[in-house]
Amino acid sequence: MRLQGQVAIVTGASRGIGRAVAELFAAEGARVAVVYRGNREAAEQVVTAIAQRGGIAKAYQVDVADFAAVKNCVEQVLADWGQVDILVNNAGMIQDGLFLQMEPEAWYRVIQTNLHGTFHFSRAVVEAMFRRRRGRIINISSVAAERANRGQTNYAASKGAINAFTRALAVELASRNITVNAIAPGFIETDMTQAVRNIAGEQIQKAIPMRRLGKPEDVAKVALFLASEDSAYITGQVITVDGGLSLGGIGS
Amino acid sequence: MPSKQEIYDKVVATLVDSLNVDPEEIRPDATLQGDLGAESIDFLDIVFRLERGFGIKIPRGELFPESIFQGDPEYVQDGKVTAKGIELLRQKLPFADIDTFAQDPQVNKISDLFTVEMICRYLEQKLQAEEATAQSAS
Repeated sequence: MRLQGQVAIVTGASRGIGRAVAELFAAEGARVAVVYRGNREAAEQVVTAIAQRGGIAKAYQVDVADFAAVKNCVEQVLADWGQVDILVNNAGMIQDGLFLQMEPEAWYRVIQTNLHGTFHFSRAVVEAMFRRRRGRIINISSVAAERANRGQTNYAASKGAINAFTRALAVELASRNITVNAIAPGFIETDMTQAVRNIAGEQIQKAIPMRRLGKPEDVAKVALFLASEDSAYITGQVITVDGGLSLGGIGS
Repeated sequence: MPSKQEIYDKVVATLVDSLNVDPEEIRPDATLQGDLGAESIDFLDIVFRLERGFGIKIPRGELFPESIFQGDPEYVQDGKVTAKGIELLRQKLPFADIDTFAQDPQVNKISDLFTVEMICRYLEQKLQAEEATAQSAS
């Protein structure tokens, strides 16, 4: 039990990577706040699945884009469990489109959820971590921040900003035993990547040196490492989890 | 209201915790940055701890105001604080030893105003004011 006695907030935890992180953290002894925006049923399923394995979790509905709501949510977690040790900023979205046609709304929405959502939750928990002189902030970024895909200017900008934010915040909080790191997943089998996988599944698989898509659990295990004591001396880093995708390696 | 000595002892304990220094290093005239090695985030930490320790609310910027002069030439010229700047300091930091600073008002020495003694004087004034408000209310 590597997270015994700790409290973790995981955003976007009703499915995909967030769900895998929530379940793994709970299995390692953490009490987990399962934060979701729209799908109450899915979030409750995660809570039930965790409870059935003897873990502790609770669902909290909030739109990460709304700072006032995020603050309320964190206050509620603190009221319920008295502390926050780990924050996983996972909630994210894509709204792909060629830049020539991109409506400002598509830009704003993606930045608002991915980047501002990360800011909102980090800002809301930091004082509690600061006072206790311990904390782990883990931001879910993407290989798309560094490796450009067509149609993802908004998404790439949001994730690149998350990487920069991760480093800048890490420097500010290091002396207080709060580490801030990011994970940059490649192609992971989730609802978010389903549309792309449907269109270009085989092509993607060929581009990945390990010849398989990632599973949410592949990312969750790295998140566990970053949340645990094992990573105590690591901060401000972006760890790529992509089966070698970002290495290139064209040729047979 | 706690005595001067009680306030001082509590401030020392706060600084020992917050800055990870030995109690022997802390003297009334020790400067937080120069002598005790405080960084910007430590000032915030000290404020949190004082609030909790003394059961008071310290508005942000009241005890440790940030960038008082904003580089305004009215207040700072050639690395020295002007007479107008000194007046502003007296206003913003009524509990600091501005008279000593005014004898050689180099702007890069402003951090020396923030001493252990200064925190104690601030708390004495703050606690007195709170007591006065409580009495007039009852």
